Amino acid sequence: MPQVTIDNKKVEVPNGTLIVEAAKKVGVEIPVFCYHPKLQPVGMCRMCLVEVGTPKRGKDGQIELDANGAPAIAWMPKLQTACTTVVSDGMTVRTDTAQVADARRAIVEFLLTSHPLDCPICDKGGECPLQNLTMAYGPGQSRFPVESKFHNAKRVPLGDLIMLDRERCIQCSRCVRFQDEIADDHVLGFAARGRGLEIVTLSDPPFDSKFSGNTIDICPVGALTSRDFRLSARVWEVRDYPSVCAHCSVGCNILIGERDHAIKRIVPRENASVNEIWTCDKGRFVHHFTVAPDRLTTPLVRKNGNLEPATWNEALDLVASRFKEIKWHDPNAIGGLAGDRASNEDLYLFQKLFRQVIGSNNLDHRVGWSVTNTGADSVRVYGAGVGTNLGALDQNVTALVFGADPEEEQPVIRLRLKRSARTFGANLIVANGRVTKLAKYAKQSLVYQYGAEAYFLLGLIRAILDERLENRDFIATRVQNFDAFATSLEPYTVERCAEICHVKPEKIRDAARQIAQSPNFLILYGREAMFAQQNDVAVARALAALLLITGHLGRANNGLVALYPHNNSTGAIDFGVLPDGGVGRTRVERRGLSAREMLGRSNERPSMRALYVMACDPAADGNFVKPEFLVVQDLFLTETARLADVVLPAQSFAERDGTFTNTERRAQLFRAALKPIGEAKPDWWIIAEIAKRLVSGLQFQVSGSQVSGNLKPETWNYATASAVMDEIAATVSLYKGMTYAALAENVKLPRPRSGQGNPSEQPTEIAMGELENISSGKVWASVAESDARAKFELVWSEPSRPLTADSRPLTLAVARSLYDGGTLVSKTQIVQARVPAPFVEINSQDAEQLGIADGARVRVSFDMRVIELDARVDGHVPPDAVLIPNNLDGTAALPMGARVKIEKV
Amino acid sequence: MAFPDLGAILKGMSVTLREMLTPPVTIEYPKVKKPVAARFRGRHELKRHDNGLEKCIGCSLCAAACPTDAIYVEPAEQTDAARYSPGERYAKRYEINLLRCIYCGFCEEACPTGAIVLEHQYELSYYDRRSAIITKEGLLVQPPAPELNTPRALRDPGNLYSAIPPIKGGVEE
Ligand code: SF4
Ligand code: SF4
Ligand code: SF4
Ligand code: SF4
Ligand code: FES
Repeated sequence: MPQVTIDNKKVEVPNGTLIVEAAKKVGVEIPVFCYHPKLQPVGMCRMCLVEVGTPKRGKDGQIELDANGAPAIAWMPKLQTACTTVVSDGMTVRTDTAQVADARRAIVEFLLTSHPLDCPICDKGGECPLQNLTMAYGPGQSRFPVESKFHNAKRVPLGDLIMLDRERCIQCSRCVRFQDEIADDHVLGFAARGRGLEIVTLSDPPFDSKFSGNTIDICPVGALTSRDFRLSARVWEVRDYPSVCAHCSVGCNILIGERDHAIKRIVPRENASVNEIWTCDKGRFVHHFTVAPDRLTTPLVRKNGNLEPATWNEALDLVASRFKEIKWHDPNAIGGLAGDRASNEDLYLFQKLFRQVIGSNNLDHRVGWSVTNTGADSVRVYGAGVGTNLGALDQNVTALVFGADPEEEQPVIRLRLKRSARTFGANLIVANGRVTKLAKYAKQSLVYQYGAEAYFLLGLIRAILDERLENRDFIATRVQNFDAFATSLEPYTVERCAEICHVKPEKIRDAARQIAQSPNFLILYGREAMFAQQNDVAVARALAALLLITGHLGRANNGLVALYPHNNSTGAIDFGVLPDGGVGRTRVERRGLSAREMLGRSNERPSMRALYVMACDPAADGNFVKPEFLVVQDLFLTETARLADVVLPAQSFAERDGTFTNTERRAQLFRAALKPIGEAKPDWWIIAEIAKRLVSGLQFQVSGSQVSGNLKPETWNYATASAVMDEIAATVSLYKGMTYAALAENVKLPRPRSGQGNPSEQPTEIAMGELENISSGKVWASVAESDARAKFELVWSEPSRPLTADSRPLTLAVARSLYDGGTLVSKTQIVQARVPAPFVEINSQDAEQLGIADGARVRVSFDMRVIELDARVDGHVPPDAVLIPNNLDGTAALPMGARVKIEKV
Repeated sequence: MAFPDLGAILKGMSVTLREMLTPPVTIEYPKVKKPVAARFRGRHELKRHDNGLEKCIGCSLCAAACPTDAIYVEPAEQTDAARYSPGERYAKRYEINLLRCIYCGFCEEACPTGAIVLEHQYELSYYDRRSAIITKEGLLVQPPAPELNTPRALRDPGNLYSAIPPIKGGVEE
């Protein structure tokens, strides 16, 4: 490792380190504008100039010594850019000389010749590197007359979300490089040159990227500002609260910037294991629902057929008394549906209320078309090892991304997998029924036929066994039932499987070789794979078998990652909001009814007498029949709430404390930022209040006999959300020790800003990701990890489709788009233009056969439904499949895998 | 029994008589008001440019400088169709809590446009605390002419560049 001396401080750094990075190690600050640790250096701004020298060598190649016996230094004749110069052994750097100070002063003065310096009206003012570095290194005065300043366009919209001020731009190209290198959406560029150099957007619609908001953060000046936050507060006036994004299952760490009891802006908070320093635009901009005027503000009770405002006591008493009455007849006539958007505390208590107080196992969180959430047991057993970082998988890792579309469903995971593949050389194998954006980064992109997923996986397994690449040691010691499994697999040759799933046998063999021979192997499976698992248990078994025969589990970078649709799907499974799964992913003895069974079909009599619906909207999917007594607890008057007997207003994630567990099983803490809207209460409080009322009545009923611990009202006294988590941390083994204090460890707090705290202690350049890599939150360990001697069983199941290749009719594939017609998105005006118009995508072969041209209006019929849509003809879907994004205008609750008919209108 | 010291009495009486003839220093306050010094710091006013546009650009620097946190500014973006001040930002709400204010003048000093000025109004008493909070309407001076009031439509892109009036020769010495 080369040793360098920077301002007389010696430091050893790895080969290839840049001088700026080496300087940080010894606490020397080198000011930068264009350099960013997450981006490739370009040396555009020259702010980082330093004096650099290397040891002088004589003709014989020996290092010459000076009079004192120290190596003589050959100083380079001119200053060098510290952000592009790589250190070498013996290099000496000086940053504290007059020459360097002069250069910095000149660069700042030069930048300011064409800078408007309208800091008082600039959104960056207060956290602006240009401001800070001017104060620290710039001249107090300019020699250029202010009238000769160069003026340029000041209010240039770059799309709906971002505003560009061309005058303020210092042409550092951070935004362009972010789009090219990190987001890989090449939508920004430079036009013209010299003084005319401008940032332009090259895409239509303008700035078409799901990550555009990040350029606001990394722009070192106020050239790129958020059209949402724009001019609505000064940055030092917004108070930052650490939180976790509640939109998707990535669980990006965020800071909620609050002023006047409203969210002014959301910026990412650093967490190297989750979102680095980024978020997607949905997480950043879709927050207006928290203060939407139609939020529920008081409990509502149905009186004379109308929902009318009521007090909390009235509403809660009514719920408790009706539950009590129905429970008296039959506890199993009460069912609970809790959405997987609620926090862990809420879900835990919801389940506790049903199992321990009401005595019913009719519980489910899988409400709504997209929430299939399969594989709870597999993740418990084979879940990817603690320490897996999806953004830093290297060439020793092969990752199979199966049936997932992270670009639309977990955007930041797409970003991180891209980084793993492009920067660290991870080997991605992307397999899906269609081509997704992630396929671009894959060494192999495989498109199978929807419905034949099991054959694809069996083909991989068979190819591994054929070439004797299985991990025989692991199988011998840890795996049971291998021989029987291999025998059952006998008829499934790679060729047969390939024929059925429409992937070429060579490709299957090639992928199988990579999987088996790679030192580490991860499977990430997404929503489309979950649908497949729901229809065919062979898919889940084959996924497990793939891990077992190769022995890839129980270590970091090995095992299974389920890419769930919502922010707390993992939590909903962990805390047993399932008819057959208990707290901590255990099994319950007496299986209850699933959501599907509870809701029944239209025209059927509902099987439940009472339903408690929390944070989900089953009526939105149609076919909902109101039971005798319906309680809905939500933020808005949803379609289900309109039918309810009692509506209880809940608080949004921004008004309360709580924890979410992300898709990688990482529990993360979020803090209240806003004051409650109206009389809304946190979900956990409402559940506990209902429980207390139920329990105090029940005590009378069982008086004389033993009152069990959970039937005492005192056991339902929770003062705060953290008290609920304390109980979880003490009683649920998966979450052992995960108290709020433990989850708050390492949480990176708000960036210091000018005017806050002691100025002498503040770094002048505060770019995120510069100072250290921070990781917070806690991941629970899977069985394979925590028990090094656990034995696993290979279970065979026959694929549900017979072993013949038939030509299938058109199958419906359902996609999700990041911005859809959901309630939360609909409250944010500025993203509305990004919600796509509904369409159906058809393969060009099928389109030709059917005589459908691109853009034509078509009628799509399936499952006794007919919808009219515009057709898109391209190569993203394979033949025999049509793709419709769900939850856009008129496309709710589409049945994945249904047979469809398409005709021209 | 001693004679009274006549000298002392006369001396005292002469002071009394002299004071009787000099004009009084007190004034009959509500009826008569004394002019204040030019740099007296009384209640604030928000000033306007000659063209009637508000000088305040809603930058909140006064609020940041205020030692008692007496100022509240809520800025917003403005358009040419309804212009309040030069530049892109204007003060949508501007309030000062006069009970908190210590009349130190820091706000005046922090203001980049000279919009907030502590003027000569010192009659500041209230029947309740609420009315001690003075809003933008109360602070803003009258426009030079009624038609120059704000907001008004203004098609002058130059206004975007002149939010902060330039100081000749760069930064002040
Ligand atoms: S970019 Fe920075 S220096 Fe330029 S006007 Fe904005 S705050 Fe001031
Ligand atoms: S807009 Fe900002 S990030 Fe982009 S080049 Fe200009 S100064 Fe740099
Ligand atoms: S990727 Fe997901 S978690 Fe992250 S900001 Fe976007 S929606 Fe939120
Ligand atoms: S005079 Fe002083 S105390 Fe009063 S508003 Fe201004 S800065 Fe605040
Ligand atoms: S040239 Fe080094 S930071 Fe810009």
